[in-house]
Amino acid sequence: MSSNAIIETHDLLKVFKGSDEPVVKGISFSVQRNEVFGLLGPNGAGKTTTISILCGLFPPTSGKVTIDGMSLQGDLAGIKQIVGVVPQDIALYPTLSARENLNFYGNMYGVTGKVLKDKIEAWLHNFGLTEAANRRVSTYSGGMKRRLNLIAGILHDPKILFLDEPTVGVDVQSRNVIIEHLQALNKKGTTIIYTSHHMEEAEHFCTQVAIIDYGKIIAKGSPAELIAAYPGCTNLESVFLHLTKRKLRD
Amino acid sequence: MNKLKAAIIKEILLLLRDRVGLAILFIMPMILIFVMTLIQDSAFKTLNEKGIPIVFVNNDNDSLGIEIGVGLRSSELCTVYDSINGKPATAETARQAVADGQFLVGIVIPAGATEAVRKNVTQLVEQTLSTDPVIETKVPDSVDIKIFIDPITKKSFIASVTSSLREFISGIKTKIMFRSFAEQIAEIIPDKKKTPSNAFGQTQIIRYQEIYASKTIGAIVPNAVQHNVPAWAIFAMFFIVMPLSGSIMKEKTEGSIFRLHTMPSSYLMLINGKIIVYVLVCLLQLALMLSVGFFFLPMLGLPVLQMGHSIAGILIISVATAFAATGYAVMVGTIASTEQQGAIMGALSILLLSALGGIWVPTYVMPQMMRNLSAFSPLNWSLEGFYELFLRGGDAASVAGSALKLMIFFVITMVIASFVNKLNRRA
Repeated sequence: MSSNAIIETHDLLKVFKGSDEPVVKGISFSVQRNEVFGLLGPNGAGKTTTISILCGLFPPTSGKVTIDGMSLQGDLAGIKQIVGVVPQDIALYPTLSARENLNFYGNMYGVTGKVLKDKIEAWLHNFGLTEAANRRVSTYSGGMKRRLNLIAGILHDPKILFLDEPTVGVDVQSRNVIIEHLQALNKKGTTIIYTSHHMEEAEHFCTQVAIIDYGKIIAKGSPAELIAAYPGCTNLESVFLHLTKRKLRD
Repeated sequence: MNKLKAAIIKEILLLLRDRVGLAILFIMPMILIFVMTLIQDSAFKTLNEKGIPIVFVNNDNDSLGIEIGVGLRSSELCTVYDSINGKPATAETARQAVADGQFLVGIVIPAGATEAVRKNVTQLVEQTLSTDPVIETKVPDSVDIKIFIDPITKKSFIASVTSSLREFISGIKTKIMFRSFAEQIAEIIPDKKKTPSNAFGQTQIIRYQEIYASKTIGAIVPNAVQHNVPAWAIFAMFFIVMPLSGSIMKEKTEGSIFRLHTMPSSYLMLINGKIIVYVLVCLLQLALMLSVGFFFLPMLGLPVLQMGHSIAGILIISVATAFAATGYAVMVGTIASTEQQGAIMGALSILLLSALGGIWVPTYVMPQMMRNLSAFSPLNWSLEGFYELFLRGGDAASVAGSALKLMIFFVITMVIASFVNKLNRRA
């Protein structure tokens, strides 16, 4: 493990039951402390599967993962204490209000009492949800649900935050608020691992990116390094298209 | 502890906001109890009390006809009518009325029936007491009592009616025979002349006492309320498979389970929140259903629910049933892949297990093969426990066996659910 790496993966392979083709084909990468690490790739490239393995949702078929010095296979409970997850799908109870949802998830992360109450109120305020906090989530707009989905994953101040397309389907205002607060979290010391299809957003937000396609990492580096490495490419999107080509994916 | 408390609060809120689920849990079983008890109570009365309508035509107007009429009227088996639409019944109108379904049974005593019996008996007595060695043996004339039967009438009821008729006829024959013997003896021995006594005919040498075998004094008579209230309460408790498996499925489809699996909380802890809430819901359901049987059914003229004398016994079997029902729902919710699959699997399996377990029809009317199968239904174990308390006057010890079976069932369902959950996550 490199001195400052908080996540290290080695030869990570995942084959789902009933399928011959691996979704993740022996990938290796490391994420340094306090980085915003972007895992970018077209649909079906293996981004969500990689994040799901890293946050302990299901085990890899083979390969090694170390998170903050703990082995994924040996100390999953310890890892779960320090990571926060914001899934791609809205993972909230639609018939509960925002406060009720956050109360439940906060307690599940071990945050309780006044500490939890204060955090809930602060985050609701930061994301402009205070007024709607007692309304059922089913009545929220897509942007409001995305913001609440994010709060539910950061209530316990995680060391590492996994974000799977956190700004998908939201308006520019909501997206800006989300990115601003994520940058603020990162400044406070949270390492962020992030997937997105918004290349412009990733270019500005990420300090390091890995481009993944067909289950393999095909390029790694900072956005600036990658742009410089491919002559004729002026931004991350053009690098992405250059590497992954224009063929439509399933 | 805070995690469990949060999980319980979340489950309660989700349940309170699921109006359809609440209706399934509380209103449906109450309606079922009302409807099924009223239907079965009516059927029970038709078959066992005074409901069976019989048209009785007495063309004899002598001892036999009168005795049968009095006997039928005093029987708890039926209600006797001797007129049809305000006109005295005749053999023909009685046959027609039974054919029309107005009466289930029609009985016609022919004219001169008593006289024919008397003549036949006297003849038999004379033949028996005769000293003439070459007396001619005559075959007695038969008396034809006609019984018209509606084809829908149960065979067991027809057997009861014909058996009662035979009893009346036999009693009258005995009386006539005794009188005839007395008269013949009086003729043979004139100085011993006595008025024939009626005492013989009125003496009941053998008597029957019907006693329901119960563990306590003051037996509880089985009726529609005693069966239906516990039966449908058990059905309702197991029907939590619908909202509970639905709640588990929603967590899968709405994505909450994704987040929950990434949290520092075990699957068992998450499920425990559900188990605690739904066990309490089951107990609440049972309390409500028993209240219906105790307070509301009597308002409709139905018998009051008798709950035996063992509160500890009721608590033990109720808690065990609640755990078994909750465990089953968790297992279905974990195994099913979609909400629709869970709903169909849950509803159909509970309907099947309840039919098998004697909820719809008591097991004693089932064929032997089905009775053997019913021993595998957890609803039957629970119902047997409640029968033990409510009908046989049992106590906590007498329901321990049923409760133990239900708790083992709960443990098995939880082990299966846990195993399936692990299997799914290993995908």
